[in-house]
Amino acid sequence: MSLVHPVAMLWAALAIPIVIFYILKIRMRRVPVSTILFWRQIFEEKQPRSIWQKLRHLLSLLVQLAFLLLIVAALAEPIFKWEIREARRIVLIIDNSASMNATDVAPTRLEAAKKAALPLIEGLRFRDEIAVLSAGTQPQVRSGLTGHQSTLREAVTSINPTDGPTRIPEAVALARRLLADQPRKQVIIVSDGGFAEFDAIKAAPDVTIVPVGQKTGNVAITRFQVRRSLLDPIGYQILAEVRNASEQKVETRFELELEGNTIDVIPLDLAPGATWTQVFEKTSSDGGRLTAKIVRGDALAVDNTAVAILPKREVIPVTLVTEGNLFLEKVFEANPLVNLEVVKSLAKDAPLRNLTVWHRKVPNPLPPGNHFVIEPREASDLWTVGDVLQSPVVEKQDRTSPLMTHIRLDNVLMPEARQIKFSAKGQALATALGGDPLYYAIERPDGKGKVLVLTVDLEKGDLPLQTAFPILVANALGWFSGTRGELREALATGAVADIELPRGPGSNASALDLIAPDGKRKSLPVSNGKVTVGPLDECGVWTLDTPNKPEAKSKSDAKAAPVLEIACNLAAKTESDIRLSDALKVVESAKIGAGFGGWPLWFILALVAGILTVVEWFLYQRRWIS
Amino acid sequence: MALFGTDFLKKLEYLSLVSRRVFRGSILAQRKTMQLGGGIEFADHREYSPGDDFRHLDWNVFARHDELLLKRFQEEEDLHVYILLDCSTSMNFGRPPKFDFARQVAAALAYIALADLDRVAVIGFAGDIVADFPLTRGKNRILSLLKFLEDLKPQGTVTDLSRVVKGFVHRTQRRGLALVVSDLYDPNGFNGGLDLLRHHRYEPHVIQIYDREEAEPKMKGDVELFDVETGTIQKVTVTERNLRQYRAIFEGFQESVKAYCQTYGLGCTRTSTEIPFDELILKMMRTAGALT
Repeated sequence: MSLVHPVAMLWAALAIPIVIFYILKIRMRRVPVSTILFWRQIFEEKQPRSIWQKLRHLLSLLVQLAFLLLIVAALAEPIFKWEIREARRIVLIIDNSASMNATDVAPTRLEAAKKAALPLIEGLRFRDEIAVLSAGTQPQVRSGLTGHQSTLREAVTSINPTDGPTRIPEAVALARRLLADQPRKQVIIVSDGGFAEFDAIKAAPDVTIVPVGQKTGNVAITRFQVRRSLLDPIGYQILAEVRNASEQKVETRFELELEGNTIDVIPLDLAPGATWTQVFEKTSSDGGRLTAKIVRGDALAVDNTAVAILPKREVIPVTLVTEGNLFLEKVFEANPLVNLEVVKSLAKDAPLRNLTVWHRKVPNPLPPGNHFVIEPREASDLWTVGDVLQSPVVEKQDRTSPLMTHIRLDNVLMPEARQIKFSAKGQALATALGGDPLYYAIERPDGKGKVLVLTVDLEKGDLPLQTAFPILVANALGWFSGTRGELREALATGAVADIELPRGPGSNASALDLIAPDGKRKSLPVSNGKVTVGPLDECGVWTLDTPNKPEAKSKSDAKAAPVLEIACNLAAKTESDIRLSDALKVVESAKIGAGFGGWPLWFILALVAGILTVVEWFLYQRRWIS
Repeated sequence: MALFGTDFLKKLEYLSLVSRRVFRGSILAQRKTMQLGGGIEFADHREYSPGDDFRHLDWNVFARHDELLLKRFQEEEDLHVYILLDCSTSMNFGRPPKFDFARQVAAALAYIALADLDRVAVIGFAGDIVADFPLTRGKNRILSLLKFLEDLKPQGTVTDLSRVVKGFVHRTQRRGLALVVSDLYDPNGFNGGLDLLRHHRYEPHVIQIYDREEAEPKMKGDVELFDVETGTIQKVTVTERNLRQYRAIFEGFQESVKAYCQTYGLGCTRTSTEIPFDELILKMMRTAGALT
């Protein structure tokens, strides 16, 4: 045994004044009385107890000396070598993933896990240390290694439920890094299972799993995505998947709602373990919040609902300047998102609409704005016109550009095109065999707008007759209108995504607020019009918005509309399968044992000293009050 | 004369005047004695014997019953007042000392008696008679008496009232009022002495004096109790409970004094030294007036 503070032993010298005071004290105070007659009547009755009366003074001295020695010993803080040798380092991992929100164990599996974790902390021995980690959505250190039980209890009770996936393997890896150089280490996982590498983790000698939950069935929406139709500009497709993760047959309903209006209801009859998948085709130009529901009350509610954001498609005012081209007129007219105006010529200083389509005639210079130039026959400030290209063959096509999505031009018959030499820097989307651009995109600096040039003669060849033509026009319209109106994939909880912001005030901001479905805000930096979001830990609709923005007075208040909405769903088969694994059931609850009940020796010494104080107080009271 | 200063003498004079105006005939002088004689107050009848004075025949009785009965009258005489003053060491206890208070009371009573033409003697005692101021008469003797009282000191051994009274009653003297001014802390009991006084046809009147500290002691804890009279030391641990017991015992002692006096029809005054002596004298005179 050694002492942490040996200098404290000097306090033992206080025994000397205590003994001196005792000696002084036994020379009692003399009190003169006129007669002792009456006192004798009292004390002669107690004569047999006089020995005790004498002894209790000595006992008081002994109690006081013992008290002093105990306090001095406590201050010196004795420590046994085995205490240091046997000190343990434990990492307690509490699973707070979505499946831990299941209510098959009242009130939830997470609360039951916390309840199971607290006795482990109570059983902590002095000099043992525990770290607390949570393993939902992403591993998070809630408390570093410490033996302070209050801190640990607070760390455990502060773990919030998340809708994210289980990250036990990552948490175990983190725990092992924390315990890397510790001789006596242990990892305790309080979880309902359902994580990757379960067998390997369970078999690890340094890991103990405390199971929480029961073998409870659950029906869940495991996939819910929406995308725009490739053919219909206002159409969209929904992919939905529902899984019956239970041992029984389940009858339920799958309901689809757009902005609160039911658009479809499908009765489901699912066999045990069966998965139902379906793609829905719907149309809507207004867009809104698309919600899928399973009408069933089961232990896990979070996967009974899924959301997706269907952006509103905005009508684009387009001016077509042409002497007359039926293909061009019809391809724009056919698009329900285009408000077309056809003119033969346009005055030099006439105001331009969102998009101007120039067929053959081109003003020189091109005014600021968006211009779609088809078969230019006149030079402009951005290019010069050369000879006619006879039967150009598409040699190269940019497949990465959104302008070329779902388009193949190599099998299109193009008898004639214009040879154009661009002076402005741009991107060649399709190039002829000799290197002449056939389809060219220019983004003019200083906000002058975009220019798209198609050099092909539409009246010769079969391009207007190909399906590529309306797709090419639709892509061009999308490119001119920016990313607004594009569909955005619903993210799974725990996912991280780089999101390109739509054109507008949000894309120019240096930071945006990410607002969780429960209203919590978090500031995110914006870099090059992109923002990195995630990992999202809550299902529902997350919102990206400018900071300190006033609340919308009405839904139609465009200025108050958020920069972007992001749908987030659980969409994880392993999380929705909340049936406790049979392998987990055989694992006994972990016990980390108890020493002095978590109390250090100095505390016990101080406690005994406190008890002696009570004894001395009793003796004092006996002397003074009886 | 610190104890009996000018103020004290003024108070004595005042008490003397009050006693004449209000309580004339009720205390001390002009008292009816146990002797029958030539007074004016009827005592009883006795049969006529030859040689008796015819003036004393009760002619009314003779007229009604045809019997010659002689009327007898109580004789009035000056009263002999014996003040037995406790001079034991226990009387030196208290603040102010009980002895000072006792001497003031004794002086006041003596003054009133002398003013009413009674005879007064003061006997200081402890274990035995330690000082004696012989019977004296006349108001002019008061200063000598006060000087005697002032010179008295607490002294002697343990209070022994029986022994004191035994010595006192065997003196050849007339019977009279015996005022015992004492704390009555007699290890052998106060009864023996008072019994002797009664048996020898004295009229005892007990004035018991105590200090507040005696009635309600405050000390607690480990103490050495030192008996100032006997010099006895007792090491005790005084607890709150002991104090309660003490108060009960002391109260019992007080009650026993009162009960004794009531039993034998003795005058009894119990007083703390906290009240002024003149108030005590007035209270005594009022009590005596109410009784007569």
